Amino acid sequence: MSQPMIQTHELTKMYGDITAVDHLNLTVNEGEIFGFLGPNGAGKTTTILLLMGLSTPTSGTAMVGGYDVVKNSKEVRKIAGSLPEFAGYYEDLTARQYLDYIGQLNDLPRAEREKRITELLADVGLTKWENVKVEKFSRGMKQRLGIAQALIKNPKIVFLDEPTIGVDPEGVKEIRDLIFRLNRDQGLTVLLSSHLLHEVQLTCSRVGIIRQGKLLVTDTMENLTKGLTGKEGKSIEFKLSKVTPELVRELKGIEGVTSVTEENDRLYVYMTEDNTKGVSEMIAKHGAIILLMKPREYTLEEIFMKYYQEAR
Amino acid sequence: MAGIFTVCRKELYDHFGSKRYLILFAFILLLSSVSAYQGAEYIKNNPQAGFLAIFSGTQFGFSFVQLMVFFGPIVGLVLGFDAINKERTSGTLSVLLSQPIFRDSVINGKFLAGAAALATLTVSTIGIMCGVVIPVLGFGPTLEQALSIVLLSLLTILYLAFWLSLGMLFSVLTKKVSTSTLASVAVWLFCAIMIPILAQLIANQIVPSPIALRGSEGFNPQQSQEFRALIQQRFVIQSSISKLSPTYLYSEVASSILGVTQRGGLFGLDLGGAQPFRALTVTQSVAASWPSVAAIAAGLVVCFAASYMMFIRSEIRPGG
Repeated sequence: MSQPMIQTHELTKMYGDITAVDHLNLTVNEGEIFGFLGPNGAGKTTTILLLMGLSTPTSGTAMVGGYDVVKNSKEVRKIAGSLPEFAGYYEDLTARQYLDYIGQLNDLPRAEREKRITELLADVGLTKWENVKVEKFSRGMKQRLGIAQALIKNPKIVFLDEPTIGVDPEGVKEIRDLIFRLNRDQGLTVLLSSHLLHEVQLTCSRVGIIRQGKLLVTDTMENLTKGLTGKEGKSIEFKLSKVTPELVRELKGIEGVTSVTEENDRLYVYMTEDNTKGVSEMIAKHGAIILLMKPREYTLEEIFMKYYQEAR
Repeated sequence: MAGIFTVCRKELYDHFGSKRYLILFAFILLLSSVSAYQGAEYIKNNPQAGFLAIFSGTQFGFSFVQLMVFFGPIVGLVLGFDAINKERTSGTLSVLLSQPIFRDSVINGKFLAGAAALATLTVSTIGIMCGVVIPVLGFGPTLEQALSIVLLSLLTILYLAFWLSLGMLFSVLTKKVSTSTLASVAVWLFCAIMIPILAQLIANQIVPSPIALRGSEGFNPQQSQEFRALIQQRFVIQSSISKLSPTYLYSEVASSILGVTQRGGLFGLDLGGAQPFRALTVTQSVAASWPSVAAIAAGLVVCFAASYMMFIRSEIRPGG
């Protein structure tokens, strides 16, 4: 835990005039599942390419597992597995042949390679398909084969670039469970990039939000949510038996209530200070019954939008 | 180093299993066997012709050398034109380069595999030609002729490897496989067809052909000294222009090794049968055609070095 698994310092990558990665300072510790979150074109993929030594930084430095990604990129690739975005597979090979080729490129001796391939195929649920050509595979199966490929070298860290794209919900859960298991059993560090907020929320212990190549914020999920509610005061979500315009108007008049919004069958009441009692009484006065009442939970989407607007 | 051989082995396995390689192999083998039969017939009809005439003698259709002049480029280009850009567009390159290998292992391995596949094709074709002809003729090559056959094989491999490296250069230069396919076909047609035609056209412009000679390019001893000088002049112009094309260089060296006269016709050799002129020994003929061999080799080195440099410097970008 003493040395971070990934450490970048002012890492920058320009494509012509376009800055894909902009003075990125990122630290990922050993054993973390780090979520790299941002919209398409935010620089997630470029950052991963830089960290794997497939692309060279315009300026700045990056270390992966203690190796410099420019000077020692081959050493980095020995300890770091990667499932690139839009990863391709040799369609003519079977799953086993494909993994065997990747294993050979990693200098694994034959016996070890075969043992490892058998284990990995079981891990990603492709044992039944090991002798089927990759061209017959569905998108989700290919993605799982891609994960097996990234793991064959027994890496210390694995980069997964949008690992669940095109995978069905069941497959997504399997992939997530696999990530958890590897992280727990082998202490594998995972850097996962995604534009799917829910996925990151469920999988990652820490999140970095990236936009236009800049890292806006890195923190744990709880802290990100806390930061948001702290600034906005308290908000409560209600489900009522009926909602009348008069009720909404009078609720807005209560001391401490800043706004009231209706979304679907829910009513959200925002307050600068806690006046839950006043709000409940007002609802009862209008003859409505409270069916559900709970503190408002923020989705990552909202957190996301908020940090975007702040950065603007 | 391990990376090179792993890539090479995989690529070689791919070539030997690929339909395009097998089709080309079958095609070349079939035509070569036919040309070997023709060569055997030619030898029977021309008692002064040696065993080597199986590679140059024709009655109808192609001799082996003509076959290589015309189809050789496509054989080499086909094994290389999508080597890199196909992996780039299909996304396999980023996975490959995420492994702990140096980037040059990929391009070196691919080139070695292509060259090995071409060498297999050449050696087995020439071997089968000899095997087909020896029983028909009832005699085999002398030691010196056997040496010439080895040299011809080496020359053919070098020549095909040149086209392979050019194909690989296209695959590094272009993003799309369709573009590099088109570029390969264009270069093939230009070298195999356009340059010889242009050479004749230009020669015609500079030294207009005397009417009496039209239609018969052959050397006529009854013509006056002046006519002979004109013919010679035309031939020099034509062959210097033709030398721009590696196909011509190949046919020139091959003819020299085989000991036949070589003219600047469309397919490198005169149709209707090349005349044996062998007065030089194998070593002498090699020495005489050395510059052309060097030119083919230089072309190969330049193409490979260019693709190597560009590939090493190229970057994997998001989305290929």
